[in-house]
Amino acid sequence: MKRNDVILIIAILLITFGFVIGTVIHNHKTSTEGGLAVVTVDGEEYGRYPLNQDVTVRIDLADGEYNVLTIADGEASMSEASCRDQICVHHFHIHYAGDTIVCLPHKVIVEIVGGEADDVDAATH
Amino acid sequence: MGGRMNKAKITSVGIIVVLMALILAVQSGLFGNSAASSEEMKHYTASFLDIFDTKTDIVGYATNEAEFTKQADAIKERLVYYNNLYDIYNNYEGVNNIKTINEHAGQSPVKVDAAIIELLQYSKEMYELTGGRVNVAMGSVLSIWHEYREDGCENPERAKLPELSELQAAAEHTNIEDVVIDADAHTVYLADPKMSLDVGSIAKGYACQRVMDECRAKGMDHVLLSLGGNISGIGIRYDGSSFRVAIQNPDLDSEEEYIEKVDLEDGQCVVSSGDYQRYYVVDGKVYCHIINPDTLFPADTFAAVSIITKDSGKADALSTALYNMTLEEGQAFVASQDDVEAMWVYHDGTKVYSEHFQESTVK
Repeated sequence: MKRNDVILIIAILLITFGFVIGTVIHNHKTSTEGGLAVVTVDGEEYGRYPLNQDVTVRIDLADGEYNVLTIADGEASMSEASCRDQICVHHFHIHYAGDTIVCLPHKVIVEIVGGEADDVDAATH
Repeated sequence: MGGRMNKAKITSVGIIVVLMALILAVQSGLFGNSAASSEEMKHYTASFLDIFDTKTDIVGYATNEAEFTKQADAIKERLVYYNNLYDIYNNYEGVNNIKTINEHAGQSPVKVDAAIIELLQYSKEMYELTGGRVNVAMGSVLSIWHEYREDGCENPERAKLPELSELQAAAEHTNIEDVVIDADAHTVYLADPKMSLDVGSIAKGYACQRVMDECRAKGMDHVLLSLGGNISGIGIRYDGSSFRVAIQNPDLDSEEEYIEKVDLEDGQCVVSSGDYQRYYVVDGKVYCHIINPDTLFPADTFAAVSIITKDSGKADALSTALYNMTLEEGQAFVASQDDVEAMWVYHDGTKVYSEHFQESTVK
């Protein structure tokens, strides 16, 4: 083997390693960047809102009914709703992957997708 | 001379190719962890909003999404079947359900599916077991509260309480002996024309248990079903650990979402009853949906009661019954039962556990 061959081998190895490390870091970053609050209305996706951006979304429904989704401090909550039972408004703020807030009368679900997971499979209520 | 040069070059290129292949193989997980193999079981969840007027969650494992969806749909199909039979508000084409029985009160027996006969027999058993603290024949009383609650939620400033005399008159028509079951003829007859059935305190848990029993018999494993908080599992998680269930904090203003987490052994079920979800407010006081058969008013001793036992129908019925009892009555009752554990939570957050409840809690 000549000196140039050795240099070539090392160069290619460095490039490959660089690529591998780059993708690992990228994957890690995107998976811990925080989840999304995914809103569905009657099974149809309405919108996706990253938990790391504070926002207030008015979800307008048929017949003038509405829900208001608020994202603040990395947590999603239903701050207002025109539904009769207000269970969604009284629900605690959510941020773990898989957590949901449901407005049953309006068939609205806010679900956290991705981000930090907790160790719980289900919850009583 | 030239031949040797070539050989060296080929060796170098060979080494490079082998190394690159190795690095890529390691990165994509071909070695060590078998994650890339197609037989790996992945964790999936599914939710529905259209069964039993509540949210259904299914947690399971499958090698791919299509296979899990097949499992979830099989569970959902059975839940819809029971939903239609146990419904007291809606009629379904070609189905005699609880509503049909109510509509024929005092008129004629109604021929029904065995699943209704068995639910009502079970409900009578639970009535006996709890000394009448959970009564499916209380529809006449519950419907009055239902109406006042709906009105009170629509117009909070005009929320009212029903008159005790109105409730007492309705309570004349809640004798469970008037629910006449003829198992041989497959009929149910309400002998009192003013009686109606309300199976809300038991049907969800009972349906949950039946569906899980059916799925277990079909060979399903590693499945957790939550039917509006009636939680029942088959087996444990695929990785060998227990399914973990959080018990919601009845104090919704608290920073803590959960007051306890419990790990379920195979076949264990958990459910909570409380005043923090379905309720209305009159003059600043909360009136929940659980009505004490003795006072005909909403029970208000506890913020919530949670039950762990081996049957979801029993868990559902007992959580209502214990919510209606004093702490002492409830403690004596739980102590008299095998395999029933309870946790009582007061409005100030104080928790009281039955003897073995904390064997399930996550420390």
